[in-house]
Amino acid sequence: MAQHARPGKSSAKWGVVTVLLTVAIVGVLWVPIYSRSLPKLGPFPFFYWYQFAWVPVTSVLCWICYLLVMRKRTPYAGSAHGGGARK
Amino acid sequence: MSHLNTVTFVILLASFLIVTLIGFASARWRPAEDPMHLNEWGLGGRGFGTFVSWFLLGGDIYTAYTFIAVPALVYATGAAGFYALSYTIMVFPIVFIFAPRLWSVARARGYVSPGEFVRGRHGSQGLGLAVAATGILATMPYIALQLVGIESVLTVVGIGGTSSNVFVRDLPLIIGFSVMAAYTYLAGLRAPALIAFVKDGLIYLTVIVAILYIPGRLGGWGRIFDTASAHLAKTSPATGKPYGSLVVMPAGQWAYATLALGSALALFVYPHAATGVLAAKRRDVIRRNAAMLPAYSLVLGLIALFGYMARAVPAVNTDIKAAGGNAQLSVPLLFAHMFPSWFAGVADAAFVIGALVPAAVMSIAAANLFTRTVYKELLKPNATAAQETRVARVASLLMKVGALGFALELDKTFSINLQLLGGIWILQTFPSVVVGLYTRWFQRIALIIGWAAGMAYGTVEAYLTPGGGQAHFGASAAPVFGHVTYIAVTALVINLAVSAVLTVVFRRFGLQDGYDDTRPADYVADPVGTRAGSGPRASGYTTAAR
Repeated sequence: MAQHARPGKSSAKWGVVTVLLTVAIVGVLWVPIYSRSLPKLGPFPFFYWYQFAWVPVTSVLCWICYLLVMRKRTPYAGSAHGGGARK
Repeated sequence: MSHLNTVTFVILLASFLIVTLIGFASARWRPAEDPMHLNEWGLGGRGFGTFVSWFLLGGDIYTAYTFIAVPALVYATGAAGFYALSYTIMVFPIVFIFAPRLWSVARARGYVSPGEFVRGRHGSQGLGLAVAATGILATMPYIALQLVGIESVLTVVGIGGTSSNVFVRDLPLIIGFSVMAAYTYLAGLRAPALIAFVKDGLIYLTVIVAILYIPGRLGGWGRIFDTASAHLAKTSPATGKPYGSLVVMPAGQWAYATLALGSALALFVYPHAATGVLAAKRRDVIRRNAAMLPAYSLVLGLIALFGYMARAVPAVNTDIKAAGGNAQLSVPLLFAHMFPSWFAGVADAAFVIGALVPAAVMSIAAANLFTRTVYKELLKPNATAAQETRVARVASLLMKVGALGFALELDKTFSINLQLLGGIWILQTFPSVVVGLYTRWFQRIALIIGWAAGMAYGTVEAYLTPGGGQAHFGASAAPVFGHVTYIAVTALVINLAVSAVLTVVFRRFGLQDGYDDTRPADYVADPVGTRAGSGPRASGYTTAAR
C-alpha cells in the first residue's frame, strides 16, 4: 500500500509531527513558564499576551504538520477487507 | 435592568426571525437523493467541506454557555478562568492526531456516532451502550446550559418579566426553543450548519467592536487590569482568602493545567463535537480545520477578557449585586451598559443564536447515539434507514424537552453541577473511543469495569467537593496527594489503571475478546464522493496518511 512505500521517510515525518504538536501542547500545559506578570506587553501582563500569542503559534504548527502528512489520494486495494480476522 | 429595552428587543427579535427562516430553508440546502437516511438528517449528508466545517465546528464547540460562563469566572476569580483559553489552544493538536482516524473508520463503516464505533471495534454491546448512555447523559445538561445562557441574555434585555409562574416567566424561552426544535426536526444537521454562518459572523462582529470600543470608554486596558487587580486582591467573606489574582498562583497551577488538559481530551469525545467531525466530506478537512479553528480560540480569549471589562463598569457591579451576585449576567450587562441599544441587540442576538446552534447539534448528536446504539442495536435490529431517521427525529425532540425541563424546573445550580459532572463522565469514554482508535489491547469487559470505576469515583468526588458556598459540587478540582487536580483527569487515570490491570487478569483467565468489525485499512480510508457511508465495499476507496 502506498503509505508504506517508504517507511523510513514516513516515520521521520511522523517524528517531526509528534515533536511539533507536543511543543504546541506543552507550551500552554506547563503553567509555571507563563503564569507571571512581567514582562508586560503594553498594559497586558505576560500571562495574557503569552497565551494569546500561543494561539497563532499552535495554528501555524498544525498547518506545518498538515502539509507534512498531506498526500495525494491514491487508489487502494479494496480486497484488503477480508472477513473474520481476529486480532 | 428588568424593564424592556425596545430597540434592543426589536433587533434581537428580527435576528431570531431571520435565523428561523434560514433554519427552515436549510432543509433544501444541498438536497439529498434520500433525505430519510440518517447520514442525511444526522450528518448533513457527510458532505461538508473545509469552509462549512469551519463554521459548523466553530459554532458547535464554542457554545454560548462558554461565552457566558468563562467571562463570569474571570469576573469572579480572575486568571483561573483563563484555563478555557489554554484548553482551546491545546485541543487542536490533539484533534489533529486522532480525529482523522475516527472520521475514516466512521466513513468506512457507516458509523454516525462514537457509541457505534466502540460497539463495532470492541465487539461489545455493553460497552457501546455505556458510551452512548454517557454521551446522552452528559449532553442533556449541556443543552440545558445553553438555555441558561439564553436566559441570562433575556433577563438583562428585560424579556420574560418577574412573574412567579415558571411558564409565564419563561414563555419567550420556550417559544424560541420550540421553533428551533421544529426546524431541527425537519432539516437535521443542515439547519445548525447553515445558521452557524450567522452565529459566527455576529460573534466575530460583536467581539471586534467590543474590543475596539469598550476599553476606550473605560479609560484603557491599563485601567481595566488595575480595577480587576484591586478587586481580586480583596478578601472574600465566603472563603477568607482573596477572590483571585491576575496570574495563576503556584497553588492553583496544577488545577489550571489539569482542567485545561482534561477539557481538551474530553472535547472531541463529546457527541456534538464528534458529529461535527463525522459530517466532514474528506479526511483532510479535519486537519485543515485543526489549523484554522484556533481563530475561535482568539475570540474565546477576548470574550474571557470581557469579565475584566465588566468589573471596570460600576453599573455592572451594582446590577450583579442586585441580582444576588449572579456573575453569569456580567457580559449581557456589559453590553447593555456600554453599547448603544441597537448594537446591544446585535450582541445579544449573537449570544442567543450562539446558544441555538450548539443546542441543535447536541440534540442531533444524542439522537444519533440513541438511534444506532439503543434503537437499532437492542429494539429493532432490522430497522430501515427511514425508520432510523424517524426515530432520530423524535429522539432529538425528546432531548430538547428533557433539557427544557432541566433548565426551567430545576435549580440553575443543579444544571451547572450536572454539566460539571458531564465533563467528568464524558472523559471516561476516552479509553474505549480514542485508545480504541489505535489498539484493541484493552479487554472489553475490563474497559466496562474501568469506565464504571471512573464514573463512580468522579461522581462521588465531585459530590464531596465543597466550594463557592456550596457543600457539594462546589468545584471541578479536588486535592489528590496534595495537588488540586481536575476530578475528570484523576478519574481517567483510575479508569485506565483498572482497565489495564483487569485486561491482564482476564487474558490470563482466557476471557474472549470481542469480534472486531473494523480493519486496519479503515482507519486511514479516505473515500471519494459525498454520499459514502454505505459500507466497506463501496467503490472508489483511497488511503491517506495514518
